[in-house]
Order: sequence, then structure tokens, then C-alpha cells
Amino acid sequence: MKLKSAGFNREFSLIVAIFIMVIVFSIIQPVYLSTGNLLDIMDQSVINGLLALGITYAIITGGIDLSVGSIFAIVIVVVGDLLVRGVDPVIAIVCGIVLGFLLGLFNGLLISKLKLQPFIATLGTMSAYRGIAYIITGGWPVLDIPSNFRSIFNSKLFGSIPISIFVLLAFAVVGHVILKYTKLGTYIYAIGGNEEATILSGVNVNRSKMLAYAISGTGAALAGMVLLARLGSGEPAAGQTYELNAIAAAAIGGASLAGGRGTMIGTLLGAILLSTLKVGLVVVGVDTFWQYIATGAIIVIAAYFEVIQDKVKKINFSKKKIA
Amino acid sequence: MKKSNKKLLVTSALAMSLLITGCSSSSTGGGESSSDKSFNPDNADGKTYEEVRDSLGAVPMVSDEIRLGGVAKAFENEYWRTLKEGMETGAEKFSNKGYNLTVDMKSPQGESDEEGQLSIVKDMINKKYTALLLSPISDSNLVPGVESALEADIPVINVNDGIIKEAPNFVGPKADQNGELLAEWISEKIDGKGKVAIIVGMPKAFAARQRTLGFENWMKENAPDIEIAEKQNADWDRSKAKDIAATWIKKHSDLDAIFANNDTMALGAQEAVNESGRDILVVGVDGIGEAYDSIRKGEMDATIDSFPLYKGQIAVEMAIRQLGGQKLPRVIWTPQALIDSTNVETSAEEIIKWTDPEIAK
Repeated sequence: MKLKSAGFNREFSLIVAIFIMVIVFSIIQPVYLSTGNLLDIMDQSVINGLLALGITYAIITGGIDLSVGSIFAIVIVVVGDLLVRGVDPVIAIVCGIVLGFLLGLFNGLLISKLKLQPFIATLGTMSAYRGIAYIITGGWPVLDIPSNFRSIFNSKLFGSIPISIFVLLAFAVVGHVILKYTKLGTYIYAIGGNEEATILSGVNVNRSKMLAYAISGTGAALAGMVLLARLGSGEPAAGQTYELNAIAAAAIGGASLAGGRGTMIGTLLGAILLSTLKVGLVVVGVDTFWQYIATGAIIVIAAYFEVIQDKVKKINFSKKKIA
Repeated sequence: MKKSNKKLLVTSALAMSLLITGCSSSSTGGGESSSDKSFNPDNADGKTYEEVRDSLGAVPMVSDEIRLGGVAKAFENEYWRTLKEGMETGAEKFSNKGYNLTVDMKSPQGESDEEGQLSIVKDMINKKYTALLLSPISDSNLVPGVESALEADIPVINVNDGIIKEAPNFVGPKADQNGELLAEWISEKIDGKGKVAIIVGMPKAFAARQRTLGFENWMKENAPDIEIAEKQNADWDRSKAKDIAATWIKKHSDLDAIFANNDTMALGAQEAVNESGRDILVVGVDGIGEAYDSIRKGEMDATIDSFPLYKGQIAVEMAIRQLGGQKLPRVIWTPQALIDSTNVETSAEEIIKWTDPEIAK
């Protein structure tokens, strides 16, 4: 019960924080509140959001996935190449998803079977996968992505809402269902909470971990395809340092790098908050150098929140004991 | 719930104070030239490569073996691969004319591997290359390498971008000039009045700073009715550039043009313009293949090509002149030109009137 209410607080606070930002930015620059701009905020949170939702799985197990930006790049160039060769867009998308899943699964394999530390293992694959992306095209971008693929992600639903936003929401919903209502989800939280105990209770920890990283890879794959559709071309250099923004979104959303904590809704809100801030700073015309500081401050504030929440929980807990 | 309300207040207060400090200082940060702190080839007393050819005459014959070592920023980038090709083309042309010449061009792993780039240079010094052609990642990372090369009597030529103050010679384009050329072009297209925006590359890059500065200065001096309404950094990233451009297009219903510090970002901005369906000029710098295609398709409007294929050849030529005992000027500017729909099909040779250098008998 306590855990759930803490989660609720977190998500509620994020929503309020987003609203406050929207209001402040709108006062400074009324254009901010236009429908088009609000949709842009959502739209610009899609790529980071997909990466962040995936990485949240790794973070909940007590790990991290630094390779998401590189998986993103591989999927971009492979799917781009398939499309340019005339492969049907639907088949290309399926290939992209499977590829992301497998690359993530390989991370999981290194971490679970070889017992490598997640940070180190994915630091390695971050570099190796990036190399693969460069090798596939010889460093060149993939150009002239066919419009039938682009329109799958770029066309609008209900008048003006880009489909890519629904891709993000769908991934969040599926991710949420897996975490909350399946055994896999329970195991993933349990591993992050106390891995030893989880092993002792007979759970196949390796399999759960591998799947967690595979889901992370899948999120990166979806993000890559959204970018490919958006830009109409893909570079093997795309996505460098994107993993850091993804980690930031997850952390703001309440995922704890110590493991055992984090939700899809929290991360989703974290990503939306970051793009609310980013678009706001651009609309208002704040100097870029100050934007770095603002983003950093938000992360630190969010982390401090975590500390306060823990304290409150402890106080409540000891009060109960006394009573 | 009470507690969390309090927390909310704290965060919102912090967020707001952040916003306010951010806004109030937005005018003071960035945008300053670093020309007083370090060597700036744009402002130096330089000569164009044609002037150098005129004053020094034919390229002297060198009978000894020449092994040139080139070090680029990163081959991930099309630009540096083309520069490599240019140096190799130059080396081939000279060896066909009887020189005993080879060139090895190497690059570190990506534009953030500053140490790796330095170790490539040190390795080339140890292997006693005859001369070095260097394009450092930052203005400082190769300085120790340059110092030990000069101690070992290995001539060093700084090529293109990343400025090494300690290198005796610089061969490259005038970076602020491409900002000027584009500013002039835009001003002509929009009749000297309107609103433009600038997407800046990574602030640590000399080229990003100078291109922006050249653009801004030209506008200030020559087009007082053109307002530079926005300026943001997109780290050379196409997706970031697209996002920023999309926001600006919503904010300014009367935006006339976007100048991006390179073509990759310009192509991103162009996507945002396409989506908006508005008629906004988009210009970039570098002249990469994709930008040419985009101009052919009638999407992007202009780019500045600094012809790395020929720049590489000029760098090789200048290295040979130096080794043959000629005295090079401190700065040698290589050709660049504005490419738009009128000359996109014209060959580079024709645009810059390229001729291979004369060689002394």
C-alpha cells in the first residue's frame, strides 16, 4: 500500500510540475499554449520517451542500459537500408523490432549469464553496436526513405495528433501491463529489490533480466524507426548521448538506480516534463548554455524528492510501529 | 498529502527561479568571439591558395621520399572522408609527376576522442613521417604533439578546422566568410528585411563560432532591417535541429529564413519547414551530398561548399612547397562557394576554376 501511494505522489507531483511549467512559459510567451505547440511538446518527447521507457526496465532490475543510443542507430540504418531496397514497410518495421529485441537480449545475456556488471557490459556494447552501425553503411547516411514508411509514423489521427505519439503511449501501456500484471513484472521488481532473495525463492532471474534488456532494446528500436520516419534519412551517428537524456527522464519519473523502483507512467511523465522544459526554453529564447543548467537542476531536484519521500515513508513506518 | 504539497511548492519555486535567472541572463551568455584569446586564422594576414601559387611559382621538385601523415577529426563524418580522399588524390597526382610521395590519413574514434587523436600524432612522430597535416578536434588537444613534432623538425600544417596556434601554417577556408556569404544571399532573397533564425553547432567548434559571427556581423552592418530573432544550439544533431526549428516556426508566423551552421542541421530544419508547409528559406554549410540532392529537389535553398576534395589537394601541395624550401604564409585560404539552385549542377572544378599546380622542372 505504502509503495503504491508513494508512486501516486510522484506521478501527481510530476503532473503538477508540468502544469506549472506550461503556465509559466505561457505567461512569458503566449504562443506556447497553442495546440500546435502542445502537440509538438508531446511529439518531441516521443523519441526520448521510448528510449526512457525501455531503459526503465533495465533500471528497475538494478541495472542500466547505456547501449540504447547505439541500438537506436543500428535499427535506423538497417531498417533504412531495407526500405531503400524496396522491402515492404510493415516487414521492415517487424525486422526493426526483432533486431532491437535481439540486441537487447544480447546485453541481457552478457549481464545474466556472464555476470557482467550492467554498466560495464552495456558500455562495451554501446561502443561495439555503434561500430556495427558505422560498418553497415560505411559511415554514410541512409537517404531517401520511401514515403509509404514515413507516412506510417507521420500521419495524423483525430485530425492533428501524430501517430508517433500513439506509438509512445502504446509502448507505455504494454510496458505498464507487463510490469504490474505479469509474473515477469513482479520478478523484475523483485530482482531490483533483492536479487539474492529472488534467486533463493526459485525465480529464473537470468531469464527475467534478459527479457528486461530485450524490452529496453525494443524501445530503442521503436525510437529509431520514429526518427527515421521523421527525418526521411538516417545516420549511423544518430543517437549519441541520447542514453543520458533517457536516464534523466527515468530518474525524474522516479526510477531508482539502486533498483526495485520505477514505473512506466513516471518515466513517461519524466520524458514529457523534459520536453516541456526544452520546448519552453526554446520558445522563450533562453540561451542554450543556460538550458543545460536548467535540465541539470530539474534532475537534481527530482532526485532530492526521492530522498524526501524516503524520509517521509520511514517516519510513517515508525509511527505505525509505535501505535 | 500535506507534505507533498509543500514539496511541490518548493519545486515550483525552484523551477520558476531557474526560469527567471535563465531568461534574464539569456542575453549575456555566448556569442562572444574568442579571437582575442587565441589565434584566429579568419582575422590573420592570410593569402588565398591562388595568391600563394602566384607568388611562390611552381612546386619545387623533391627527390627524397615524402611520407605525409594526415589526422582528421572523425571519418564518421562525410566531410572528413572527402578530405581524406582529397589528400589521397593530391598524393596520387604528385607521385604520377615523379614525386616519391605517400599520404596516410587517420582519424580517432569519433569527435570526442581527443586523447586518441593525440596518440595518433605521437605515433606518426615516432615513425618519422616527413610532414604532418592536422585537423584537431579541439583548439588544444594536439598542442603537445605539435610541439614535439616541431622539436623533431617535422613540419606541421594545420588543416581546416580545429585551430592550433602553435602550428606554423594554417590551410583552410575562411570560416566567417561562409556566414557572410549566406547572410548576403538571404538578404538578397528577402529584400533586406525580415526575420531570420540561427541554429548553432557545438559551441566548442571554431567553425560554429565563426560561421555564426560572420553571419551576425554581416547582417548588423548591411541589413539593419533583418532581425535575428532566434539563436539556439543543436550540437550538429539533425533531430535536435528539427525540433528547435519546429518550435520557432510555431512561434514566429513571419519567419523568413533559417541558417544552420552545417548541412546536417539544415536538413533537419528543412523537415520541420516541409511539415509546416510554409515558405521559409533554409541554408546550411559544408556542401554534403545530401544537401546537394535537397537543393536539386527544391527543398533546401543554399549551402556553402568548401570543396574538401580540393582542399586536401591544396594541403598536400603546400606541404611539398614547405618541404621543398619555400616559405609559406602563416594562413592560406582555400576556396569556398555558395551553392544554390542556379549552380547546383555545375562541377566544382568550374565553380572554383581549379587547375592542378605547376611543377618545377
